[in-house]
Amino acid sequence: MLLAIAQPLAWFLGFDSLMEFIAFVIAAAVAYQALKGYRLSKERTLLYLHFSFVLIGAGLLVDGLSSIVVLLSQFHRGFVVLYALGYTINFIAQLIAYGLLVFAYLQQTRNISAQFAATAVVSALFFERNAFAELILIFLLVYITAHTAMNYSVSKATNSMLVFGAFASLTIAHFFFLMFILVPIFFPLAHIAQLLGFLLLLGMLLRVNQPS
Amino acid sequence: MIPGEPGSSTKPVSKYRSQFRIYVDVMQVIQREKNQAKPTRILYGANLSHDRLIKYLEELKSLGVIQESGTEDKVYSLTQKGIEFMNNFKKVESFASAFGFRI
Repeated sequence: MLLAIAQPLAWFLGFDSLMEFIAFVIAAAVAYQALKGYRLSKERTLLYLHFSFVLIGAGLLVDGLSSIVVLLSQFHRGFVVLYALGYTINFIAQLIAYGLLVFAYLQQTRNISAQFAATAVVSALFFERNAFAELILIFLLVYITAHTAMNYSVSKATNSMLVFGAFASLTIAHFFFLMFILVPIFFPLAHIAQLLGFLLLLGMLLRVNQPS
Repeated sequence: MIPGEPGSSTKPVSKYRSQFRIYVDVMQVIQREKNQAKPTRILYGANLSHDRLIKYLEELKSLGVIQESGTEDKVYSLTQKGIEFMNNFKKVESFASAFGFRI
């Protein structure tokens, strides 16, 4: 995949890692805030949120680092494998993370048993990384986005709007990642949409923590 | 830290109030009453029976987040620890509700 994008999008390599490092820091901040909330309230959904963003952050870090290593190796054949490995780790981490978030929402509405949701996520892991597997990720994100949209339509709160915007951006980002298989220009667009999503989450975090 | 009580999967969410939520409701009533709340106000505000109110007030006192004053007409107020707890709780509640999670 790297070789496919390396030619027309060589100018963008490096920027993608930078964007992923920024997103990693924001994901870590969200995870920390969720952990603080869990420690205070013992509310399990906040623990799921914490682990979800820990996984998202870890995936972004691994993917960003693998890209940097490949870039520094000047696309040495041995290191190019690292890029695919980084992407796969990031993909699996995101699949579990968004699956956890969906599980947290389902737990709250209690429409589904824990076993069923866990089985759905685990069985999704057996798919190989391909367009179909990417579609599963988009499906999970669409569910989360729909949930956050409903939450915003009820609360009309700015923080809810920011979270909805964030997940909508992440959904678009993954759609672009899917499209990039066909059209390379979607690769930078996907990274920009992903970064925008995390910046919206940062905005929400800053608003929550501003002194009253 | 105030210990919470995880929700039971057999009871509907809308009717179930965790121990943590009741603690917060009691403290919110006290805060609303300009930090000088009489037991009757707390009883109605937090929607508790008399027996449960006494139980929760004692627990909150032992946690050091509220204090009792007055001899005949008892008045409850938040301690500094209680005020700090409520400030942290508001942030957590705001964060969780942004994602659509209830605490």
